[in-house]
Amino acid sequence: MATVTLNQAQKTYPNGFKAIHGIDLKIEDGEFTVLVGPSGCGKSTLLRMIAGLESISDGEISIDDKVVNKIAPADRDIAMVFQNYALYPHMNNYDNMAYGLKNRGFSKAEIDTKVREAARILQLDDHLERKPRQLSGGQRQRVAMGRAIVRQPKVFLFDEPLSNLDAKLRVDMRLEIKNLQQRLGITSVYVTHDQVEAMTLADRLIVMNGGIAEQIGSPIDIYEKPASQFVAGFIGSPAMNFLKGKVSDDKKHVTVGDGVMLDLDHDVEAGREVTVGIRPEHLDLLQDGKGRINAPVRMVESLGAETLVYLDFGANADNVTLRLQGTHQFAKGDQLSLSVPANKIHLFDIDSGKRL
Amino acid sequence: MKRVQFEHSAVPYLFIAPQILIISIFFLWPAAQALYQSFLLEDAFGLSSQFVWFRNFEDVLSSSSWTRSAIFTVVFSVLVSVLSIAISLFLAVRADEVIRGAKTYKTLLMWGYAIAPPVAGLLGNMMFNPLMGDLYKAFNSFGFEFNHIQNANDAAFVVILIAVWKQVSVNFIFFLSGLQGIPKSVQEAATLDCKSPERRFWTITFPLLAPTTFFLLVINLTYAFFETFGIIDVSTKGAPGGSTATLVYKVYVDGFLGADMGGSAAQSVLLMIMVSVLTVFQFRFIERKVHY
Repeated sequence: MATVTLNQAQKTYPNGFKAIHGIDLKIEDGEFTVLVGPSGCGKSTLLRMIAGLESISDGEISIDDKVVNKIAPADRDIAMVFQNYALYPHMNNYDNMAYGLKNRGFSKAEIDTKVREAARILQLDDHLERKPRQLSGGQRQRVAMGRAIVRQPKVFLFDEPLSNLDAKLRVDMRLEIKNLQQRLGITSVYVTHDQVEAMTLADRLIVMNGGIAEQIGSPIDIYEKPASQFVAGFIGSPAMNFLKGKVSDDKKHVTVGDGVMLDLDHDVEAGREVTVGIRPEHLDLLQDGKGRINAPVRMVESLGAETLVYLDFGANADNVTLRLQGTHQFAKGDQLSLSVPANKIHLFDIDSGKRL
Repeated sequence: MKRVQFEHSAVPYLFIAPQILIISIFFLWPAAQALYQSFLLEDAFGLSSQFVWFRNFEDVLSSSSWTRSAIFTVVFSVLVSVLSIAISLFLAVRADEVIRGAKTYKTLLMWGYAIAPPVAGLLGNMMFNPLMGDLYKAFNSFGFEFNHIQNANDAAFVVILIAVWKQVSVNFIFFLSGLQGIPKSVQEAATLDCKSPERRFWTITFPLLAPTTFFLLVINLTYAFFETFGIIDVSTKGAPGGSTATLVYKVYVDGFLGADMGGSAAQSVLLMIMVSVLTVFQFRFIERKVHY
């Protein structure tokens, strides 16, 4: 059981590229932390710094209050699951799981107990004698997980472990990972670019962008109160609608598009130019046609349980996405009338993108 | 093994015909010629010949010079193969770890590949020349009484040194590409599982390189058997007293210099049998164990 502390951790590559700009973070014992962000945001680099596969240029990373900057990866008592499994192709699955234990001087009997226990948990009992190449992708990922759990490490590190699996398997494995982590209670750091994985797995979510942590918080906090336009656009699917707007003189409204007035519940100075953010699921469709927002349908995507409607809004035909429950029949060009509650409107600074 | 059966037609045979033709002209025909000749006793001018059954083989097998050459060939081939594989593996592993100036380093190590065996022999000749050779002088100034012209072991050392040096670059290229074929994440996973780099090398890297090593073993043994001819011919010419003559070199010396065509042909037939046995052995017994 362990905590992981990052104190102004930074990474600068020899070519001068700064991948991580100094991150402060304390991961509590048993917590499941997810690092999420677009490609190149530094999330994998940060994970690899915790693992010891990348050196730490500046700042400190500690596991259980012990600074690990100079400690070899094998001595940090962490285990990592890689995206492409990274199993040893010349060893059978039993030896793959036993390898780390053998090198740590466990006795044959101990190793056997631990490996068989892990195999039982992961339902790999029948595959121990086989080589990795004889297994399916999902089974290989399970062996990789087995290799991590047999060691009972202080920290689990996951580097996009589900990216190589097909959609259905990904959902199954996601549940399995969550289950396993809760049962074992091992502190975990999980990297993904998939926001569904991020939202469902995380106790705490860290949204990264350009080498900095844009926001750290519980998934629901981040969904409800995104700290910046970037976070708001990244978390939530389909992505949040952004419109240019101006706060009215009485501060009670914001004007978007061709003079559409939306009610406001914010304390922002009058006349300020802002970016207005509205989630597709927070737009309400009004049957009486008396909504503030009126726009023609451009395209409809029916998913069965829900329907996504893309609208042309205002003179510039800005895209506005609407998410409705159930199935709806709309034709291109149909005029829809929408409203949005004042407390569901997000305002962001037009330059910095910070939440207002 | 799954086999797919196709409808038979003449087209596939047409496609392999050029290859068959080349093999027939440059291998099957001369081999048959050698086999036939090994049963003949010819006079030195090739004017008359007599069919003598296995007498050439009896002569060859009972001659002490052939036995000595066979022993030298085995020792030479094993030493050349093992040494050049070991050295190039070491260099490749080190080169793979180099980050700064890696390209220059690797290119320099590959240069030797561009040198033909006789040129390598010539270089060796110059370095071991008793009058001006730097290595000759160096060894003697260290207190060794080094004299490859009279001492058989010293001569063998010279030939092995040149042969190994020439082959290291070839092996290096294969090992380097083999190392780069090992997924980075597998090596990283091993870093987390095993602290000792040496242990990691022997338990992960080396087994993953086994197919490459096996391939190189086959290539190097063939090289030591046959292609070192140029090196030996230019450097020692089998001297002193035939102690550095490999079987291939002896075939040439006895046949083309000694004009004993029948005996030489019998030797080459024996050589062919030895190499066939070796090849079958390698693929039957070793190949199975190296692939994962």
